[in-house]
Amino acid sequence: MSTVETPVAPSDDAPPLSQLRRLAAFATSQQAILFLVLVAVMCFFDFQNARFFGTSEFGNLIVDFSTAILIAVAEMYVITSGGIDLSVGSTIAFSGVIGAYAMQFLENHHFGEFGSLLVGTIACAGVGALVGLINALLITKARLVPFVATLVTLSMGEGLALVFSKGGTVGYDPGAAVWSATGFWVFTWLSVIVLVITAISGIVLHFTRYGRYNFAIGSNPFAARAAGINVNLHVASVYVLSGVLAGLNGMIWYFQSSGGAPQNGIGLELEAIAAVVIGGVSLTGGVGRFSGIILGVAILTVVHDGLTFINVATTWNEVVVAAFIALAAVLQSLGSGARKRT
Amino acid sequence: MDTTPENSSLTSSATGQSEPVGSGVESSASSLLSLRDITKSFGAVQALRHVDLDIPAGQVTALIGDNGAGKSTLIKTISGIWAPTSGTMYWQGQGVQVHTPRDASHLGIATVYQDLALCDNLDVVQNMYLGRESTRAGLLDEITMELATTQTLKDLAVTSVKSVRQVVGSLSGGQRQAVAVARAVMRESKLVILDEPTAALGVTQTAQVLELIRTLSSKGIAVLLISHNLNDVFSVADRIAVMYLGTLVHHGPIANYDRNSAVEMITTGKSDRVPSSLASSN
Ligand SMILES: Nc1ncnc2c1ncn2[C@@H]1O[C@H](COP(=O)(O)OP(=O)(O)OP(=O)(O)O)[C@@H](O)[C@H]1O
Ligand SMILES: [Mg+2]
Repeated sequence: MSTVETPVAPSDDAPPLSQLRRLAAFATSQQAILFLVLVAVMCFFDFQNARFFGTSEFGNLIVDFSTAILIAVAEMYVITSGGIDLSVGSTIAFSGVIGAYAMQFLENHHFGEFGSLLVGTIACAGVGALVGLINALLITKARLVPFVATLVTLSMGEGLALVFSKGGTVGYDPGAAVWSATGFWVFTWLSVIVLVITAISGIVLHFTRYGRYNFAIGSNPFAARAAGINVNLHVASVYVLSGVLAGLNGMIWYFQSSGGAPQNGIGLELEAIAAVVIGGVSLTGGVGRFSGIILGVAILTVVHDGLTFINVATTWNEVVVAAFIALAAVLQSLGSGARKRT
Repeated sequence: MDTTPENSSLTSSATGQSEPVGSGVESSASSLLSLRDITKSFGAVQALRHVDLDIPAGQVTALIGDNGAGKSTLIKTISGIWAPTSGTMYWQGQGVQVHTPRDASHLGIATVYQDLALCDNLDVVQNMYLGRESTRAGLLDEITMELATTQTLKDLAVTSVKSVRQVVGSLSGGQRQAVAVARAVMRESKLVILDEPTAALGVTQTAQVLELIRTLSSKGIAVLLISHNLNDVFSVADRIAVMYLGTLVHHGPIANYDRNSAVEMITTGKSDRVPSSLASSN
């Protein structure tokens, strides 16, 4: 091996520069722009109404963020693995209704508030896991494309939520709402739990093999399989994980609405996908940073709450969201264009 | 390319007469991998017909044949991308079942596919370690992987890749090729399979890959090289195997072949010039 002898790394014995390079990459990334957008939006609302940054409104923001983040995390996992999950919204409704029945039953049998909430949470997660398993089987065994498979379970979840609840709220439970409002400073205990789950999900996605395989499969499933990854098993697990997160989100809605209602969460899959897209995640799979969806959900939450706070009719909400999606998509295509040119 | 002394235990198969194809023998003791009567069908298409092949350790076996002859199908069968429709594989004399790429890699088979099979959205380090990441306390050990990748590329004199944290999609064809080869080499394999590794390469990089192949075989690693370039084949191979329309029509030591007979066999499936009764029955 004669010939060319320029060193591989910039310097032969310098330590790995990955951390530094990542910092530099971040500064020019979509995340940095998103962060500035978030700050700008918050400043805008604060300027409109000086109480926007007040502790109580900030607490509301965190509660609303916690209500939206879990299905966005679910969507992040699924989309980076090269799929899509349309069923997360209806799973919120379906799992909430079933969980509410479970809790109602336990309370009627004097199980105690905390015990029944715990079992209800497990029931919600279990229903979500079941929906996720159906998605997984439809995709990996019946070979449906994820869009169609999860469209099936979207309708199924919506329908079953209505059937089981007979159209009304199940297990009216004002105590749950009271409990869910307890906490410290700007945090409720519920939001602390959600933020911990979110943080763990982010660590798993970017710093473990499981997360690495997720990106590899989204990038090139053949290469992933050739590298020895059990692609079908991983894909199946991602849909089950997505279902569990949606089920837990159903429990959060139970707290918010003091019961399990069939209209809870309906249509929210699009909001979650919007947050993911705004966060710079590629819908073709294999690309995205967890920090992006945190910012995506944060921006949507601030816009949503801010418009309400300054008394703009909530009907404008969708229009503003649309503008953000367009902005994010343009940034993304400009960004990838720039990468291709170099 | 030379038959070195340490290969002498294998020379009975390496320098003797070419073996007849389809003779129905059990796996020959000296070979690392033996294929017996391997058949692969895709629906009505029969891509492999009764393939018998012995791959000895420490030697470079060149697999040649026209487009669509079934070369890639054969190596994908060996690598566990799919199971053969019928037939048996022997690894070091033992019958083995290879159902998944993971099975193949456990045996010590590393493959560079014709379409390279890299993840474009992952960077060089992530691709090099895909499926065998280093971890510390359950978390990916990026520093170790980055250092080892840099070292491996340096060892292989792959000097054109600027940053190992570049995504592979942004590399040139030759650079991607180099990463794919380096990835296979890094796995301390017993058999390295290369499907047209020099197809996208310039003169210098081709020479480097060929040199790399010689280095591997001198370390006792078996190499199965698919190439359309007979210059490459005659400069590194110890043995040649020829495929024609899904059949392995001929195999034997390189000394038994010359360019003309090789071309003849690639295009017609037989040659009068090659010794022994090989262009046989099927
Ligand atoms: N997955 C598949 N499904 C159906 N047919 C296939 C498949 N893979 C290969 N074939 C067929 O098998 C035959 C052999 O193809 P193969 O890719 O092995 O050829 P090759 O010798 O590698 O050719 P080349 O030199 O062009 O790479 C072809 O007729 C091809 O169409
Ligand atoms: Mg081929």
